Amino acid sequence: MKLLFVEDEPVLLDEMLAYFSSDGNICEQANDFGQAVEKINTYAYDGVVLDITLPDGNGIDLISQIRACQMGTGILILSAKNSLADKVNGLNLGADDYLTKPFYLEELSARVNALYRRKALQGEENILFDGFTIDTAGKCLLFGKEEIKLTKKEYQLLIYFVVNKNRVVSKSAIAEHIWGDSFDETDNFDVIYVHMMNLRKKLIKTNGTDYIKTVRGLGYKFTW
Amino acid sequence: MRLLTKSNLNYIWLTVSVLLLSGFLLYRFLYIEISEEIKEQLELQENMVTSELKKGSAVHFPLVVVKEIDQNTALNVPVFKDTLIYDHIQRKSEGYYLLRQSRKIKNKIYSIQVMTTYIGWGHYSRAILFIFLFIAIMLIVVGAVMNYVLNRAIWNPMKINLKRLKNYSVSSDRALLLEHSNIDEFKELNQVIIELATRAKGEYNTLKEFTENASHEIQTPLSIIQGKLDRMSQIDQSNEMTNIISDAKSAVNRLTKVNKGLLLLAKLENGGFPDESNLELSHLLLRQIEQVEDLIDHKEIRLNTEIKPKTLTASSSLMEILISNFLSNMISHSPKGANAKIILLQDKISFINSGNVLSFDKSKLFNRFGKNIMGKTGNGLGLPIVKQICLLYDWNLSYHYTNGEHIFEITF
Repeated sequence: MKLLFVEDEPVLLDEMLAYFSSDGNICEQANDFGQAVEKINTYAYDGVVLDITLPDGNGIDLISQIRACQMGTGILILSAKNSLADKVNGLNLGADDYLTKPFYLEELSARVNALYRRKALQGEENILFDGFTIDTAGKCLLFGKEEIKLTKKEYQLLIYFVVNKNRVVSKSAIAEHIWGDSFDETDNFDVIYVHMMNLRKKLIKTNGTDYIKTVRGLGYKFTW
Repeated sequence: MRLLTKSNLNYIWLTVSVLLLSGFLLYRFLYIEISEEIKEQLELQENMVTSELKKGSAVHFPLVVVKEIDQNTALNVPVFKDTLIYDHIQRKSEGYYLLRQSRKIKNKIYSIQVMTTYIGWGHYSRAILFIFLFIAIMLIVVGAVMNYVLNRAIWNPMKINLKRLKNYSVSSDRALLLEHSNIDEFKELNQVIIELATRAKGEYNTLKEFTENASHEIQTPLSIIQGKLDRMSQIDQSNEMTNIISDAKSAVNRLTKVNKGLLLLAKLENGGFPDESNLELSHLLLRQIEQVEDLIDHKEIRLNTEIKPKTLTASSSLMEILISNFLSNMISHSPKGANAKIILLQDKISFINSGNVLSFDKSKLFNRFGKNIMGKTGNGLGLPIVKQICLLYDWNLSYHYTNGEHIFEITF
């Protein structure tokens, strides 16, 4: 993926760049409104991660500019101030998704990847890993031609793991991803464990490989 | 005691005692004056009898007795006294005044006795008492009527203002408007109240802005901390380091939640949500229940639902927050194997779950950080947010505990 990150906070920008570059994406950055306008008008991107509060302008105003020249670009707004109004405004103007600061980078990655599949690849792409195919249109998992039955939550969890492969993902990030903001209590981590174990068993049963590792105290890691 | 009753009571006591005193004084005054008059009249009568006797004419007046007496029984001073005389018309004895005096006329000594009707002081005093009682009653009645009429005119603005003050909230956008009064004291009171309300509102706004600004300013540093911790957890660490990172992460996570919650509360107080639309609450509710079905199953909660279609105009993101806060509350506070029920009808939505009685006062339930056991379950802002959403849409939110069940209910 070719991505543009528009963010005025250098440390946060670094974090995002480091995260997405390690996945093999081409990442570019813009620290302010002016730079962002220049980049948008010069290059085409698969996705733009847009901070709304910029020192020299409002990120919201960039949305229509992006839309004017790049229809297939997924736009995700990052917002701090007045979040709900920004969200509605942004989505009305043509943004595709929305995340409030602070956020988990895993969540950002999951959202940007989903946007990429939906927008740039128009939902056609299947996620492939180690002989498995995740059919994102049919919402199912295939190994060769054979379908592996997954529950809805296991399917959600698998995509989250695959998109964030080789990374330790925390249980609270997972909880927030599959149930939403209000349900990331420690009680519910047991349920994540149950889903994770079921998914793990199903994958092991299929080709004998154990993809999911528990990282003590921190979360889970999906590797292949 | 109401002011009106109080002032009326005082007025009645005062009137009665003033009237009693003046009645008594009137009686005494009349008594003295009239006694004096009667004395004078009897003296005059006696004088006239004496002069008749001096002229040598026989005296035969009614109620006058003239007797010749000897020197020994003669009186030195005139004697006034009461006596009874039989009145054969009324057929009863009546009281009379009598003056008896001895006179020496032409070397004879006469005892002259004149009388006049006794004025019934008992009657007098009774008459005075009746008149004064009548005056007292009239004064009280007229006073009460006047008070009532005046009070309505004077106190009505006060009552209206009191009602407005009760409904006034510094967090609402509406300014405080008070009914005008032409009484100086009330004018002053209104002025003071308006000033107080304005000041309170100003201070409240400053506080609110501070919360909002602080929350905003915290967001970016928090994102950075979260990102850095996340990066640290990607690197292989010793067990000790892992624990440190894990603790730091959960603390940051909690702070993030509190921050988001406070920001949302501030937004809610500002009112006006941009994504308001006509929405089908039952769809939202069913979708959210489905999403957490695994959590419900895991806790072996037996959930019954009675969900009827219900459309309302509200912000869909707020409705999602409202429902998920209730669900999260229900799931985390239900003991394993509890019974739960979710009801959505035309006029209300209820979330019911069995469980032990609250260990704190239920009034704290909807207060921010009211439970003081933050972190353990929830961030202490879930129910306050629900309350604020209900306030925004003018819905009635209630909680009660009956038959071992916690019942949260919103009536639309």
